[in-house]
Amino acid sequence: MPDLLDSPDSGRGDRPLTAGLDLSFHETINPNHSLTVAAPTAAPLLLCQRVSKWYGPVIGVNQVTLELRSGITGLVGANGAGKSTLLRLITGHLRPDLGCIQVRGWDAWSTEARQHVGYCPETDAFYEEMSGRQFVESMARLCGYSRREARKRTEAVLERVGMAGRAERRLRGYSKGMRQRIKLAQALLHDPELLVLDEPLSGIDPVGRWEFIRLFRDLAALGKCLLISSHELEELEKLTDHIAIMAHGRIAAVGTVAQIRDRLDNHPLLIRIDVRGHSHAEHGNEREARRLAAALLKLRDVVGVELLDSPPDESVDPVLVRARNPQRFFQELTHLVLEEWYEIARLETLDDSTQAVLGYLLRGCSA
Amino acid sequence: MYQSIFFFCFLFSLSFLGVLGVLAVRRAGLSQTRAWCYLVWLSWQRQARASQMVWIAVGLLAFAVALVAIFTAMGAWSMHYWRWPYRQGPTFLQWADEIQIVMSVRDSSASGQGVQAALAAAVRGIVEHSGFAIFSHWGVFLLFLSFLLPLFNLSFATEALGGERESNSLIWLLSRPLPRPAIYLGKFVALLPWTLGLNLGGFGLLCLAGGQPGWLAFRLYWPAVLAATLAFSSLFYLMGAWFRRPAVAAIVYAFFLEVILGNMPGYMKRISIGFYTRCMMFDAASAFGIQPERPDIFLPVEGTTALAVLLGLTIALLGIGTVIFSRTQYQEIV
Repeated sequence: MPDLLDSPDSGRGDRPLTAGLDLSFHETINPNHSLTVAAPTAAPLLLCQRVSKWYGPVIGVNQVTLELRSGITGLVGANGAGKSTLLRLITGHLRPDLGCIQVRGWDAWSTEARQHVGYCPETDAFYEEMSGRQFVESMARLCGYSRREARKRTEAVLERVGMAGRAERRLRGYSKGMRQRIKLAQALLHDPELLVLDEPLSGIDPVGRWEFIRLFRDLAALGKCLLISSHELEELEKLTDHIAIMAHGRIAAVGTVAQIRDRLDNHPLLIRIDVRGHSHAEHGNEREARRLAAALLKLRDVVGVELLDSPPDESVDPVLVRARNPQRFFQELTHLVLEEWYEIARLETLDDSTQAVLGYLLRGCSA
Repeated sequence: MYQSIFFFCFLFSLSFLGVLGVLAVRRAGLSQTRAWCYLVWLSWQRQARASQMVWIAVGLLAFAVALVAIFTAMGAWSMHYWRWPYRQGPTFLQWADEIQIVMSVRDSSASGQGVQAALAAAVRGIVEHSGFAIFSHWGVFLLFLSFLLPLFNLSFATEALGGERESNSLIWLLSRPLPRPAIYLGKFVALLPWTLGLNLGGFGLLCLAGGQPGWLAFRLYWPAVLAATLAFSSLFYLMGAWFRRPAVAAIVYAFFLEVILGNMPGYMKRISIGFYTRCMMFDAASAFGIQPERPDIFLPVEGTTALAVLLGLTIALLGIGTVIFSRTQYQEIV
């Protein structure tokens, strides 16, 4: 593996980001539909096997299986989805309650595993009394480098993250973006094979963001494996097309954005629609729900409709719809409701993971 | 003899720590020894950032030294000015003179005169050499041992890991390719110069301010202070690895549990660090008549036994702390 501190060949950054990436999650939108990629041919750099982690009664990570070899993988999810917990498990700061995590065959908790991992944490705590250069050099010395080697590596990584000329100031006076760069610099010091970056682009200005994206691509081109978390899909899409979406502690979807969307389109989504009786005198509540059900069945993406019993003390009639291609279905449903003037009391997707994935795709994708 | 044993044990325990540290890092390659040495150096430097607790401790030391110096200037470390009946009667020195006069009047024979002279000299000797006993009681046992020593230890020892946890900066050490036991032992080694310096230095200053009795007290008691410092440091350092609010836990232990346990009748007091420290001090100063007020209740142990217990406790607490630190997931720092 080429040394990180060798001058990077920027031309190699043009290599498609998908090259060399073998990612297989066994968690899918629907457990019955496996997204498993071909079996690995050699020992993976990172292997998580059915990993679960609880915080008391709350589950942080739920049965996650993950295998990484190289390239950039984006981990996206809302706050509290379990991204940071998964990264802390991978970097050996937390231990899984169930399952196991291995880095190059070593237990992630072990010292040997940490030699292969560079971690850029989300936490914004430093040795504030030090300058950026002193901090990075201290981290290098704590890796076991001699003073001379530590200085050499410090200068190299500071140069790489664009902080070489600004590292003399005390850390407490740094902006958020500069602190992010120092965090990234210390993660690169020992030239790790696996870089785990928790929200590395947060707080960075657009120019700096572009520089970071280019740097990540360069690192990937050098054969490094990067696992980058973010809560913005749009941000990660610029960096990689291999995305894992986390929701409620699980990997809800994985693959390229297009793949995820395709699978979502083919996966029937269960939606509950509560319709209320309205001003049309000739229609009672019962007939209103039936009228909606009949109209829904005419939509091309609807594969089934079911009328449910009305809940007691509520003047609504629930209709359960099973539909493919959710994006198109919701567009058509909107038109239908506006044209026919249905009074919808509630619209709910009954699959949390799918809803989360959908939320991201609808929000984050331009297509 | 006694101090030689102490030195041997102390050097042995330090070597033991060093060997443990080196063994812990050897697994990960030779360069990790260098990383461990740098960790010790870095931690020692970072301990210098005096926290609020340390400033409080230094302030209290200054106050205590000033107080002792005033008492010394007033000649308070002696029974010369004690009175009997309390506050009203003659001073003890006057009593000694009176006893000599009265006895010489009662028996004028040569042998009687000899016995009376010896008795009077003994009384005068006790009164005049009472300074060490009084300084030991008030300056050492009550002020230093019960209050300053635990406070000095907890101010630095709880901060060593507790401060890193509180500021979330422990993550940088835990992210490095250093074994956790090596990190724990390395930070303890870095802590020792500060606690030993503050305790022995503080004790030295206090004794210096105490004049002649203070100097004697320092010569006799410093091994006990050193052993107690090691034991307290390892205990409070362990609390830093264990509790999220180690300073609170350490204060509760030092000023409530130690006091309660130390005054328990029977063998219950033997689970307090202060008990063994006092035993070492009683043993060291036994030639000067320093002993527990009620030996039948205090039930002291031999000085060497006390020393062995304190050093054994230090090593045991370090071992327990190493295991706890190696297994704990510090969720608050990541």
